[in-house]
Amino acid sequence: MNLLEVKEVSKTYGSANTQVTALDNVSFELGTGRMLAVLGPSGSGKTTLLSIIAGLLAPSSGEIRIKGSPVSLRSPRDAAMFRRKHVGIVFQEYHLMPYLTAADNLLLVPRIAGRVTGVERKRADSLLAEFGLAERASHMPSMLSGGERQRVAIARALMNDPEIMLVDEPTAHLDTERGRQVVELVRSHIRGRDMTCVMVTHDERMVDEADEVLRLVDGQIV
Amino acid sequence: MLALKELLGSKLKFGLIALAIGLIVSLTFIMAAMSEGLISGMTGAKGSLAADALVFQPDTFLALERSRLTAEDLDTIATAQGVASSYGVGHAFISVDSADQPFDARAFGLGGEFEQLPIVKGSGLPGPGEAVIDISAEDNGVRIGDVVHLTPIDEELKVVGFTEGRRYIMMPVLYVDLPTWERIYVATALGRMSEQPGEQLPDLNRMTEQVSGGASIAAVHLDQDTTVEEFAESLSGGFDVVTPAEAAMAGNGMPVMMLSVNAIQVVSLVIGALVIGVFFYITTLHKTGQIAALKALGASNMFVYGQLLMQITILVAVASAIGIAITLVTGSFMPPTMAFDLQPARWIVALVAIFGMAYLGSLFSLRSILGIDPATALDRGEH
Repeated sequence: MNLLEVKEVSKTYGSANTQVTALDNVSFELGTGRMLAVLGPSGSGKTTLLSIIAGLLAPSSGEIRIKGSPVSLRSPRDAAMFRRKHVGIVFQEYHLMPYLTAADNLLLVPRIAGRVTGVERKRADSLLAEFGLAERASHMPSMLSGGERQRVAIARALMNDPEIMLVDEPTAHLDTERGRQVVELVRSHIRGRDMTCVMVTHDERMVDEADEVLRLVDGQIV
Repeated sequence: MLALKELLGSKLKFGLIALAIGLIVSLTFIMAAMSEGLISGMTGAKGSLAADALVFQPDTFLALERSRLTAEDLDTIATAQGVASSYGVGHAFISVDSADQPFDARAFGLGGEFEQLPIVKGSGLPGPGEAVIDISAEDNGVRIGDVVHLTPIDEELKVVGFTEGRRYIMMPVLYVDLPTWERIYVATALGRMSEQPGEQLPDLNRMTEQVSGGASIAAVHLDQDTTVEEFAESLSGGFDVVTPAEAAMAGNGMPVMMLSVNAIQVVSLVIGALVIGVFFYITTLHKTGQIAALKALGASNMFVYGQLLMQITILVAVASAIGIAITLVTGSFMPPTMAFDLQPARWIVALVAIFGMAYLGSLFSLRSILGIDPATALDRGEH
């Protein structure tokens, strides 16, 4: 079954003479447990695509479907709730809160949803252990290496047990080997679970790690 | 608690902000204390008279200095409907020249109820020729047991006690019994005219007779079920009747002064609120990226704003403690003659206003939070 469907999605900015087309009629489907790598040069529309799937941007036309149901985001509040329930994002810049420990950064997600109980704490501990960070749970981001921060960011993205995981440029701040390890970590986590992953990268070396590859140039699939 | 963790995570930054806000709070409190000091220095002795109502001679515009009630007037007032008890209060201008630093003062004659004076030193019940004096006179060198000389009337009073918060037009008040006040009042009215050679001597006896048994105003305690308005009506309009608080705010330029005092306090609060608002606005601008990421993770605008309000509450509470400490230390160095009166009730009002203004100032930040696009957490300037 296709977990994620992107149907004829287009996005334009500006109007009349100044109109810029960031995405042009992009469609694809992604099944459960699969990882898609979206490749393309800078300005190709990768980030716009990621933002639309995350509900951060509304498409100019087309639609996103999850498990066959169209995603309808009428307001920023709807979009925020959609992300809390269905999406996990790993930012290129990690965006870990510098004043929170690794464990507290994971608990930020249920805290935003207004629920932090023993269940959430156990899940945070379990994810940190899964990503080899059990010993670093009480460390501040400034005390972690780049790779460790990346893993905390991935663990945080998994805290709400999302159906769609979005990973933005996972290798931007890591060397090839560590980047590969991080992507492999994500892949091994989603495999066999009711979730899917879209990874945006400009790093051709990540192609081998993905189940499917989509190449974008000037907003179009090539 | 995210807000608290952020504060604890940047102790130096937020500590400095709390200190800066604390200085603003202390400035607001010091302004309030000085304003209150001015008001109590101008009206303390008048406004704190123990009474439900003060009765003035009509058409004297509630001026203690001009009002005169005869013995018959005091009897009329004492026997009016709804009066539980009453006593006369006399006022006279005096100067003391025997202290280390000569000073102008006011003499208040009380026809009773000396227990209303808060005594800080010595005795509170002066006999004939004795006085209880406001503590601010201590700065001029007056001590318990001193016999002060009043000029130019050549009278003497023995100081038996010190009271506090009893100044009038910024001068210390000397409380005496009514017979002593009568003597001072007549002597003050006559001055040294009697000593001028070749002039007709005033009729001292006639004047003394007129003043005898009278006072400047009457202080009245009413029956429980009688209002000041009902009491005023029962006097058939023959007198001006007001509460002590109303009397304090009337005459001697007090209405104009109150306008200025209130304006000073409002302006200091508004400036404080703007500065506090700007502080939090700047900190919000500095963490635009973090806020965008929080919103991208699913945080609503209200969640982010709620965290900000919590931070404001904690920081302003800490800043208020700092501000109160600074104000208390400043106050401890103020001489009694300085217009500086720490009124806890006024502080509570000022604190509520500061918190209110801080929350109002946070609306700058709310505007900024609403404008942060969560998509910028992903955006690197490409599409």
